[in-house]
Formats: sequence, structure tokens, C-alpha cells
Amino acid sequence: MIENDNKLTPIIELNGITKEYCAKATFFSKGYTSVMALDNINLAIQKGDIFGLVGQSGSGKTTLGRLLLKLESPTKGIMKFNGKSINDLKGKGLKTYRSKVQMIFQDPYQSLNPHLSIAETILEPLIVNKIGDHNSRKEKAIETLDTVGLTPGKEYYDRYPHQLSGGQRQRVAIARAIVLDPEFIVADEPTSMLDATIAIQLFKLLQQIKEKYNMTFFFITHNLAAAKYLCNKIAVIHNGIIVENGPSDQVIQHPEHPYTKQLIQAQPKLNF
Amino acid sequence: MAKNHYLERFQKGWKIFILNPLGKTGIILLIIFMLMAISSFFIPLLDPMYDPMTGIDPLIKESMPPSFQHWLGTDNVGRDLFAQLMEGAKVAFIVGLASAFVSIVLGTIIGMISGYVGGITDRILMRAADIIMIMPSLVVLLILASLFGQFNIWIIVFIIAIMRWPAVSRVIRSQALSLKSRPFIEASKVAGASDIRIIFRHILPNVLPLAFLYMTFRVTSAILVEAALSFLGFGDPSQVSWGMMLQWVWKSGHMFQAPYWLLPPGICISLLTLSFYLLGRAMDEVLDPRLRKEEERK
Amino acid sequence: MTLLKVENLSVGYKTKKGLLNAVNNISFTLEQGKSLGFVGESGCGKTTIGMTLMGLLPENANILQGDIYFNGSNLAHFNDEKWRNFRGKEISMIFQAAMNAMNPVIRVDEQVMEAIEVHNPDMPRNEIHTKVKKLFNMVEIPENRLKDYPHQYSGGMKQRAIIAMALACNPKLIIADEPTTALDAIVQDQILKEIKEIKKGLNTSIIFISHDIAVVADVCEDICVMYGGQIVEKGKREEVFKYPRHPYTKTLLASYLNLDSDKDIKVPEIQKPPNLITLTGGCNFSASCICKSKNCINHAPEWVNLSPTHQAFCCEETLGKDKND
Repeated sequence: MIENDNKLTPIIELNGITKEYCAKATFFSKGYTSVMALDNINLAIQKGDIFGLVGQSGSGKTTLGRLLLKLESPTKGIMKFNGKSINDLKGKGLKTYRSKVQMIFQDPYQSLNPHLSIAETILEPLIVNKIGDHNSRKEKAIETLDTVGLTPGKEYYDRYPHQLSGGQRQRVAIARAIVLDPEFIVADEPTSMLDATIAIQLFKLLQQIKEKYNMTFFFITHNLAAAKYLCNKIAVIHNGIIVENGPSDQVIQHPEHPYTKQLIQAQPKLNF
Repeated sequence: MAKNHYLERFQKGWKIFILNPLGKTGIILLIIFMLMAISSFFIPLLDPMYDPMTGIDPLIKESMPPSFQHWLGTDNVGRDLFAQLMEGAKVAFIVGLASAFVSIVLGTIIGMISGYVGGITDRILMRAADIIMIMPSLVVLLILASLFGQFNIWIIVFIIAIMRWPAVSRVIRSQALSLKSRPFIEASKVAGASDIRIIFRHILPNVLPLAFLYMTFRVTSAILVEAALSFLGFGDPSQVSWGMMLQWVWKSGHMFQAPYWLLPPGICISLLTLSFYLLGRAMDEVLDPRLRKEEERK
Repeated sequence: MTLLKVENLSVGYKTKKGLLNAVNNISFTLEQGKSLGFVGESGCGKTTIGMTLMGLLPENANILQGDIYFNGSNLAHFNDEKWRNFRGKEISMIFQAAMNAMNPVIRVDEQVMEAIEVHNPDMPRNEIHTKVKKLFNMVEIPENRLKDYPHQYSGGMKQRAIIAMALACNPKLIIADEPTTALDAIVQDQILKEIKEIKKGLNTSIIFISHDIAVVADVCEDICVMYGGQIVEKGKREEVFKYPRHPYTKTLLASYLNLDSDKDIKVPEIQKPPNLITLTGGCNFSASCICKSKNCINHAPEWVNLSPTHQAFCCEETLGKDKND
């Protein structure tokens, strides 16, 4: 019964989301110029989905991710999380929302504070949300490190980011994102800075996490093949407009929009 | 374990620092002046005659050149110049370090808040900084001194600090601005961290090295301002500072008759400011982003 | 005709922790008009090879041993002045960061003209102009965009302009180091076509360096797969990518996702990145290899001929073991 309810209410629902960036009027020029980063986006993400958002640089895909985390606000439109509007969240409401929604950033060299140890990085979400006590937090952090494949977690606990490789750093970033047991995770190009042999291991890790904790992922990427591999649904975004949206197999095998077709055509192929 | 991390970073920086000829010279000079400042506590204990302020050699009625009893000679009322010079080192350290410390603390906190919070807060704080920055600090001090009479040394320290934070806060603010958009700050925000936590936990450790660098330059300028103020006769009359010694040479008309009185404080002022300046330059090289990056990559 | 012949080349970087052996005893040859691809992951030494061939190694890097014969002269013994005359004229390079490779305050056509003038100081002005027009025509930049500044160009156009600049002196060899990495898929596709056409049209040799096996496979006829400063497998692209034999090549290929990748593909994990400071003298991949022979750790494997053109730097045991899978 409850499961059915979840199927009906999408975990994330976007209605007519528009984001306009405008340069303010200056002394020399009156009026303003605006750039439409996102134009009337309508999306529904179901619980348990790995939803892929595919687009090239400047398509607005990162902006959409930042909107979902409330790092920015839409100019127009309504965003709903589990059926409730999150447009005007502030203070405590925002904090609660953010404990349920987390993010994995693109560059693992930039997303970890070089002055904090791995332990301090992973403990931070627990501390600021006042979850557990000193011992239970430590236990949870080590357990999470084990989950993301940094085993044994104890050994990595006291290290610093500069002692880790890019792939290991990204695993720490994933650990920080899942330590609060969020319902929804936005992953913004989590592997684009990493080598292919490492990227594929991270994809496998994300899949494991999704299955283990039944989290919902929003995977932002420029790589159509990666989206196809990881996601069950794909939306293609071009110049701030979603041009195609559907189950991955259908989008890849029967693309309808010319842009999607072009994108598929341009994929480098490895067959002779 | 956090301590170890900072210790490790410090040791790494120290290695680059001490290999640097500028840093080495600066450190050696600084140690000499520190010994001088420390010795100022013991000299009056030898003989009350050597008290820099009140100790008068009863046998001497006028300024005397160096002798066995008075290594650097005496001033015109028979006070020992060597003792005064040592006392001056102590005062220079107090004025320099204290005012630099206060201005750095103020500048760093205001800079971080301004850069991180942005908006109207940023504008108000930075306009205030602009206003103070364009005021010529020495002139302001002179005007205040002539209005309120001679200041206590701690008030001078405080005024110098107030006049000197804006430049620091400008630099720290620009650092905070660039840090603010770094993903690890956003990650912390996403985790639910408060602004205060982000400022002190994430931004502060990243701007701290820069703050220390600026502190060395602030020390230099504070010592110079105090010396100038004292020389012009607006210093704390109850303290023997190098500037004050110069003021006494001038006032008693010994400017061109007593090089043994005029030169030591002048040279000391130059060398102490030089040593802090060299420290700053060497630190600059330690903190050079290119060197730092190489370090991080490894 | 053999244009480039590299023999037993080793390049090292002096670092605080010791000598880092970025490129370790590699040999390869390149024929006029052919294309050779170097593929591998970050830190495998592929960029160092490009920099060595251009004489652009940073100050702390040195050629430790080996010879580089290009058209009869040995580049390994070139001094600065010889390099200055040589670079850009005989060998030129297309860099990864097209955005930074151009001076933002000089018009695009002037930058290309300058590249020609440096090596042809006596060429008349109008001849240079026609040459620039021809070059831009070749890379398909419309003539009315010649007088633009670099920031007015899109990423793809900048990369085209860089290619035009690289072609300015009719070099015999072009080294392309990740030329499309910063570009979108559709633009990348166009630039790769451009490079292939130029190669065909001008009979220029190309050394193509990339981490992306599909891109390398698209452009190059011959492939060298690199790992930890060593070439581990080389051969014709069909041989290397269709019948890979070295375990690293297999891992690399298995990790590559394309549109029909299977959800549950099995990819062996690379456990340990190679330590290039303390070399064991053996195979750098041995720490992550399926072959657990103690021999490989300390003794360099030998080149095993798999076909007249296909070779793998591996032990017979591992290659044999794999065959049975």
C-alpha cells in the first residue's frame, strides 16, 4: 500500500522551472540583458530511479542540479519534494530538507577541504545535524567508509585528502553524501575528472548503494554512454530545454528529437 | 590528529622558510632583538642606576660618550643609553606585535564575514574599510594626540590597529570570495552547516597563512608609526621607546653632537622593521601558490 | 619512409621525493603519412612523450637515455637554438586547452600570420595573407571571422584555429595532445573528422595522445597502449582493440562504456597505481595483474610477437593464461 503511494507521488517534481540570469543595469547601460539557463522544465523523478540528465556544457544541467539542492532559486516554477513544495524553504525547514537531499560534486580535488581529515569531512553532516553521540558517529563514519569501498575504514579515517588518489577522494565525497542516509542524491558529473578504469568502479559503487539503501539518484553527465549504463531513465537537455525524456533504452534506441539523434550519432564508436 | 596535520604543514613550510636566505637573515635579526628585549628586564636589577627611565648616574651631569660603565654612553641627564636601547626593543615588540595582532584579528574576521556573507553587509563593511584606508594614519594620530594630549602606549597600539585592519580585510575578503564558491564549502552547506561554522571551520584555516603573512607587514608599519609619533613628541612620555630616544636627542640639542646617542635607536628601528619585512618576504615564498600547489599534488 | 624513430627513450622528473620515471625505456617508429595513437590514463607518461618530441620538457625534466631520430637528426641532442628553428616548422603541436593557447588581445588571423612569419621571415606579406586564408579555409572557419578576437570564437572554432596555426608551416608531424577533451561530443566528432581529412589531404604524420580509446581508435592506424611509463601493447588498431592481449589493455577496453555496454560487465580493478619513483625494474602493471608470477615484479617482461605488427610487453604465462578464458 505504502509502496503504491510512493509510486504515485514522485520524490521530485518540477513544474515549469525557469531560471534566468540577468546582468543588472549599470551606469552606462540601462535595461538588462538576460540569459535563459533553464526554460520551462517539467520533470518527475520516481523513488528508486537513477535518473540521468544528459547535456553538453552550457546546457543548464548543472544549474538544475543546484536548484534541486536549493543552492540557487528558480525564477519561476514549482519544485516539489515528496509532494510538498520546497520553493520557499528557509531555516529549519531547509536544514531538514538538506538532510534528505545530498550532492556529489564533480571535482574531488576541489570538493574536499584540504585542512580537514577524512573523518572530519564525513562527520560534519552528522555533527551539524546533531545525529548520535561521539562514539556512534565514529562508528557510522567507519561503516560508511567501508560501504564506499575504502576498506578497512579505520585505516582511512585519519588520513587527509592529499594522501588519497582522485578515485579515493571521490569515494570520500560519496561517503559524505550518504552518511545521513538521504533519500535523494544529486551527482554532478562525479567521474568526469577520473580515468575510465576508476569511473566504472564508481558507477558500480553507486549502483550498489542505490540497491542497498534504495536511494534515488539524479545523475548529471555529458556522457550519453555513462547515462545509458547507469540510469533507468534519461532526459536530454539542450540550451535549457528538455528535448527528450524517457526510459534509457527507449531514448537511446528510438530517439525522437533531432538533437538526441545527433548526439547519438556523434558518440565515438569502438567497433571495426 | 588535527594538531598533527597543522604541525606537519608547519614543518613543511618551515623547511622552505629556513632554506631561504631572506628568512634566515630575518630570523637571526629577530632573535637578536628578542634577546635585547628580554635583557631589558634584567638590566635595572644590576643597579638602579641602569633603570632606563629613572636611573641617573649621580656622577654624570651631561651627555657622555661610551665608557666602560655606560657602554653606549649617557643622555644629557645621565641615564644609561644601553639600558634605554634594550627597553626600546621591548616597547617596539609590544607595540608592533600587539597592534599587528589586533588589526589582523579584526581584518580577518571582518574580511571573512564580508566575503562570505556578501550583499549589504559586505557593502557596509567595505565602505567603512575604504574610509579608514584613505585616512593618513600618522596625521590622524597627530590630530587626535594634539586634541587629547599625550596618549598612553596602549591607546596608541589600539589606534594603530584600528587604522590598519582595512588592508588586511580586503585581502582576506577576496580569498573568502574565491573560497566561497569552492565545492567543499557548498558541500558543507548542503550537509546543513551554519554560516558561522562554515566561516570558522572551512574558510578560516584556508586564509590563516595569508593572515600571518600580513601580520609581519603590519608589525613593520606599527613600529614605524609609533617611532614617528614619539619622535614628533606625541608618544607615551612614560615609556622609553626608540622614537622617544630620538625625540630626546633632538629636544636636548644633541642631534649633531652625540652620534653615539642618535645612531643606535635609528639603526635599531631600521633593522627590526627589516627583520619583520624579511620574515614576510620569506613567508610569501612559502605561501606562493605555485609552490603550494606542488606540495598539494604530492 | 620512416619519419620518426624513438629508441629506448626514458624521461625523468626531478621531484622532492626522488627521480620520477615518467617514461621508461620506450621505442616506436612512425612512417610518413601515418598516424600513431598513444592511449593510457593519467600519469602513464603519454603527455611527457609529446613534450619530449616538441623539446618542451619543463626545467626539472630530463631525457635519461635513448635517441629520437627525426628525418635523420637526433632530437635527443638538440640545444635550445636548434629547437627554436625546428619547433613549429618540422613538428608542431595541438594542445588540449585551446582557450589558453591563444593570446586574447591579438586578432586570430594575426596570430596565425605570426606563426608563419617566425619560420619564413622573407615571405612577402600578401603571400602570407593568402596562406592564412587557405589555412582557415582548410579548417572550415568562414572568412569573415578571420579578424575576430579569440573570445569571439566558440570552443570548437578555437580548436580549429589552433589546428590552422599548427599547420602554418607545413609540418611533417603534428602532435595532438588530447585535442578534443574539453569539447562537447558533437564538436569533438567534427574536429576528429577535420584532423583525419588534413592527414589525408596533406600527407602529414600524426601522433595522437588521448585517454579516450574510442577517439584514438577513430583517428589512428597504429596504437600504443601505455601504463606506468611503459608501452605495454602496440599494434594495428584492429589488432589491439579487437584482440587485446595485455591484461591492462583488456581492463582499459572493458572499462570503456559505449551505448551498448552491458549493465553487468565485469571489469577487473586496478589495485595500485604504479610507483614511478622506486622502480622495481620489472613490469609496472604487475601489482594489479592477473599474473602472479614473482618474476614479473623484478624482471622486465619481453616483447612477445603476436603477429608481425602486434606485440605485447608481457610474459608468455599471462598471455597464455588469458587465451584459455
